[in-house]
Amino acid sequence: MQAAAVEAVLQGLKKAGVDFISLLPDSDFSDLQHQVASDDEFTYVPVSNEAIGVGVCAGGYLSGKRPALLVPTSGLLVAAWPLTSICMAWGLPLLLLIPYRGDIGDAFWLMGPYKDTTEPLLKVLNAPYSVISRTAEISKAIVDAQGSTVSWQRPVAVLLTGETIK
Amino acid sequence: MKRFDCLKFLASIIDPKTIVVANVGPISREWNALRPSDANLLQVNLGLCAAVGLGISICLQHRKVVLLDGDGNLLLNLASLTDMANQNLGNTVHIVLDNEAYEGGGGLRSATAGKADLAAIARGAGVSESCVATTLEEFETKAREGLNRSGHHFIVAKVEKGTVANLPTLTLDGKEAKYRFARYIEGTEGVQILRPRYTHI
Repeated sequence: MQAAAVEAVLQGLKKAGVDFISLLPDSDFSDLQHQVASDDEFTYVPVSNEAIGVGVCAGGYLSGKRPALLVPTSGLLVAAWPLTSICMAWGLPLLLLIPYRGDIGDAFWLMGPYKDTTEPLLKVLNAPYSVISRTAEISKAIVDAQGSTVSWQRPVAVLLTGETIK
Repeated sequence: MKRFDCLKFLASIIDPKTIVVANVGPISREWNALRPSDANLLQVNLGLCAAVGLGISICLQHRKVVLLDGDGNLLLNLASLTDMANQNLGNTVHIVLDNEAYEGGGGLRSATAGKADLAAIARGAGVSESCVATTLEEFETKAREGLNRSGHHFIVAKVEKGTVANLPTLTLDGKEAKYRFARYIEGTEGVQILRPRYTHI
């Protein structure tokens, strides 16, 4: 992820009032993760799989925090289980921030299948999403997604692609 | 040792403000019969009780949080133990009511009926206060210690299969349970969880 994009994500998260972040360490988010981990404005909870991350964020939300889950593209499939059994079943909000590996322009063959799974999966999970390809649009997209997830009481995702993750 | 007897003892000594998170199945039904309360978050889906409890424990460090877990439930997501241990929790009692079976799923044996030792796994994950209780007296001692002391206590209670007759039906679905628990936390913590005002929209 570009340095400017990392800064835009951090600004967006803070402007949106996010104060609790869970994540699984991931190469696409590594710079962002280092900054989140060292920023006192966030309660930072690293997890060993994304399903735990969804559960931790659910607990955080029900305790008065405003959580976000940083999810690697592949990890969205792991998170699908509690996104269904907790977020859909209970009607819980969750801001999902996902680097959109496998989008058109991603040259790594191993990421190709995620073009087939990511957006359809979000649709069946009843999780609206924005696809953001320009760094200048990141902050507002995060703020809007956070407002929507809390208002609608269901997960909302921001997929980061294009110049933001190159 | 019967699970209901363990829960009955726990209900007799627990502070009314203690938050209890329990996994779906007979554990939730039995606990609801013994301590009906909006401080309960019940019927957490298989494999996720520890994760949800972890989030609550981290955010409400001044409150005691008790997790009522099952062996099959925890086995599905053992990595939760590693993430819990690394948070150095000071307020959590994690009780696994280990009947060595998937009772809600028909009673087939779980891995703890074989070689798996959840207390040893928890110690390996970094939970130092980890123990096994095989009698009600042992459970009472360990549960009382966990509730009265700070730290992260992990108690495996070896219980028989089977539940008690005529338990009240759990009438809350997840959505109503969410609202009731969130309103309870709002009232006791002075925070706003539901419907905050977003001026930027």
